[in-house]
Amino acid sequence: MKVAYKHLANCIPSRPSIDDISEKLFQLGHEHEVHNEIFDMDLTPNRGDCLSLNGLLRDLAAFYEVDINNDIYSFNINKLDIDFDNRATSDCSHISFLKIEIAEDVRPYKGFLRDYFKDLGHNKNNFFTDVSNYISYETGQPTHCYDALKILNPIILHTLDTKQEFETLLGTNIELEKDSLVFSSNKKIINFAGIMGSKDSACSSDTRSVIVECAYFNPESIIGKSIKYNLKSDASYKFERGTDPLSHETVLRRFLQIVSDHARVESSEIFFKNYQKHIINEIPISVERANKILGTSLNKEEFSDHLKKLGFILKTNKIIVPSYRRDITNENDIAEEIARVIGYNNISSKTFSIPKVENFNQEDSDLESNIKKLLINQGFLEVINNPFVASGKTDSIKVDNPLDSNRQYLRNGLETSLLDNLLYNERRQKDSIKFFEISNIYVKNQEIQNKKVLGIICSGRVGKNYQEFSKKIDIKFLTNLFKEFFPETKIEPYYLSRENLDSKLDNRIVYLEIELDAFKKYDINYFEKLLEPTKLSKDNFIKYKPISEYPSSFRDLSFSVKDVEKYYELQEHLLNYKDELLRETFVFDYFINKKNNEIKIGFRFIFQSNKCTVTEKNVNHVMNAIIESSLQIDSVALPGYK
Amino acid sequence: MSSFDGINPPKFTNNIGGLHPINQVKEFIVNLLKDYGFQEILGPEIESEEYNFDMLNIKKSHPARQMHDTFYIENKLNVLRTHTSPVQIRSMLNSNPPMAFTSAGKVFRKDEDSTHLPMFHQVEGIYIDEEVTFSQLKDLIHKIVHSIFGEDIQIRFRPSYFPFTEPSAEVDILSEKGRWLEILGCGIVNPVVLENCNIDSKKYSGLAFGLGVERIAMLKYEVDDIREFYKSNLDFLSQFK
Repeated sequence: MKVAYKHLANCIPSRPSIDDISEKLFQLGHEHEVHNEIFDMDLTPNRGDCLSLNGLLRDLAAFYEVDINNDIYSFNINKLDIDFDNRATSDCSHISFLKIEIAEDVRPYKGFLRDYFKDLGHNKNNFFTDVSNYISYETGQPTHCYDALKILNPIILHTLDTKQEFETLLGTNIELEKDSLVFSSNKKIINFAGIMGSKDSACSSDTRSVIVECAYFNPESIIGKSIKYNLKSDASYKFERGTDPLSHETVLRRFLQIVSDHARVESSEIFFKNYQKHIINEIPISVERANKILGTSLNKEEFSDHLKKLGFILKTNKIIVPSYRRDITNENDIAEEIARVIGYNNISSKTFSIPKVENFNQEDSDLESNIKKLLINQGFLEVINNPFVASGKTDSIKVDNPLDSNRQYLRNGLETSLLDNLLYNERRQKDSIKFFEISNIYVKNQEIQNKKVLGIICSGRVGKNYQEFSKKIDIKFLTNLFKEFFPETKIEPYYLSRENLDSKLDNRIVYLEIELDAFKKYDINYFEKLLEPTKLSKDNFIKYKPISEYPSSFRDLSFSVKDVEKYYELQEHLLNYKDELLRETFVFDYFINKKNNEIKIGFRFIFQSNKCTVTEKNVNHVMNAIIESSLQIDSVALPGYK
Repeated sequence: MSSFDGINPPKFTNNIGGLHPINQVKEFIVNLLKDYGFQEILGPEIESEEYNFDMLNIKKSHPARQMHDTFYIENKLNVLRTHTSPVQIRSMLNSNPPMAFTSAGKVFRKDEDSTHLPMFHQVEGIYIDEEVTFSQLKDLIHKIVHSIFGEDIQIRFRPSYFPFTEPSAEVDILSEKGRWLEILGCGIVNPVVLENCNIDSKKYSGLAFGLGVERIAMLKYEVDDIREFYKSNLDFLSQFK
């Protein structure tokens, strides 16, 4: 909802600055952004009462003296003889109609009505609809205008027995489902209640006789309808959050006042009907309770003062809640009102401690941690995948309202997700991929069953080091990995076929999926010799470097070194060599040739840019610098290099 | 004897793997809370509407219960949990105050853009005892936020709305660029929720809070797009080991 600063400030005699009002709105819990002196409000769903100029002013009254415009039509209005049949009183407990007939001419907009369109940049429509829109902005109560000549008595509010076509006032044709709440006249739908009126009954610039409908709809009867039919309207937004059922007379008299400010009113008639008694909320006054909730030490005067400013009426022992505050039902709500006025940031903190107890589930948590530790020590990276997949099996659980057809089932295994992860990285030239995931899996047989499973996928080189560079991952690699730590657990990895995969590689893909429960028997001492994976502490959060989507390129160099000290120096030099394009360096080959009395050491350099595809020329430039600097080291040679 | 006897072979680089960055952040927060005295509890990701909404005072008219916000399964019989609060409800029903629980894990909402995903992670905490106050909640939140973002970080509390807490607050931190960034929600447990869990709300009160793990990870690691965490890109994941 957008509200002009000027409109708020006009009602606050002290004329606070825009920054001051903004600060106070934040203190009250009303998030917003400010652009060109317009507050773009993002109100919480419980504060439907603040979806208007007057609503915000009522809250700002906690800090300022405010002068809410109450210029309403104060003369007698005749009773409207309307044939209205409410067959849905649980959906609509309060309803009013105002019939107005005006003379031909409508004068140019002035005062609030003029400022509303000018300051907020809204488009004008026709006179009665414009007044209706303004009234909604000022009071928060949506009204709907029917051209009185286009509707016939009786008007019936009811739910549809069957599906029915409906053309909205915007000209959109929709099919309303059975049980939709509608107003009908002469067997035609004239209004999709609380959402949008029909084209047939809408006002135009020629309308001189109007019936204004002012209703209270149960929010549960309205919620979700506008999204379902893609008919977003200011009215539905407000009705979903709740309006004030006792405001109708004031709202309609205000409507009539604005009409009479702009046109000669020939006649006006009004109709009110309440189908349920509105229950006024009353809450016992307890300053002690509020202090206990907040941890404050307010006295009764401060307590009363804060609440009165927000429109609460304080009697001897009870607080009378205004009819527009549907969100206030108990003492905690009252405490929140007090806290908003004091300011959450002005309530001081109080130290306390929680008595320590033994943690549940420690055994399960240790098992999972140890499995992760084992895999991480073998170079595996943990992945997390979302559970939604395109197709399911007989025991798969289907989502009633999926995001799209590719995500309509819950996965009943991890293979599809992990295979996607592998292929994604193979397409990015990765030749050593080792991933694992631990996740809950849900399936349905007679009832929903849950199991926690470990999924492992790996392919390509065993590792990026001189011992494992030439070894390829196979089933044995995976079974050996678990043998030492879980000798009694049956590990049965298998190869995934590359047939039908979008992949040109021929590395074998090894996959294992196993329930975590299978690992229950193990000796915790085995894990103590493993390195702990990197865990976060207060000070070791790394700053992420954006990754490149451009292809990489690599070069290998095989050096011969005669002197041990120089061999160390060469390693130090190359493994720490920095260049913008050089992404990774590792030793892929190493052996001692005793016959020639030399150390052979091979380095792989991987190049990649974040800005573009690296060219041959770029790479050669860096390689030349690497070679030249390396050959400066005594006893280092590059066989075959000229 | 060769002149190369006793030579150290080349250093192994890049050989160790790593935990997923989201799980690292999640564990960091859970361990922090365990140090404060919270017990870690676990629960199902598929929940009934009763535990996910009704017990938490989330009325049928609340927007969160609509089909556009919550994933329903089995013809609306169950939901994918939209928060980890139902785990706390289950534990509260089976314990007596004082009690302090933390629940962490995957949650699901029908949302998807550069800052929202249909699946994300939450860590929540609840503490029930006699005379638990908003002042104490503020103390705890200051400790948590300072532990994650450092002692110098500026914090502000704003009134907000959660059906299960009253008063409710959202907590912002001031970024280096001078912008307030929302990082968690918290409040005093709504007495309706206590009564739903058979806890005498006249005698006991409670504090509760919840953090979005991805939100914290994005701020701490300076990752702009939440989707990066779930592409399983080896170059991305390798940075966090």
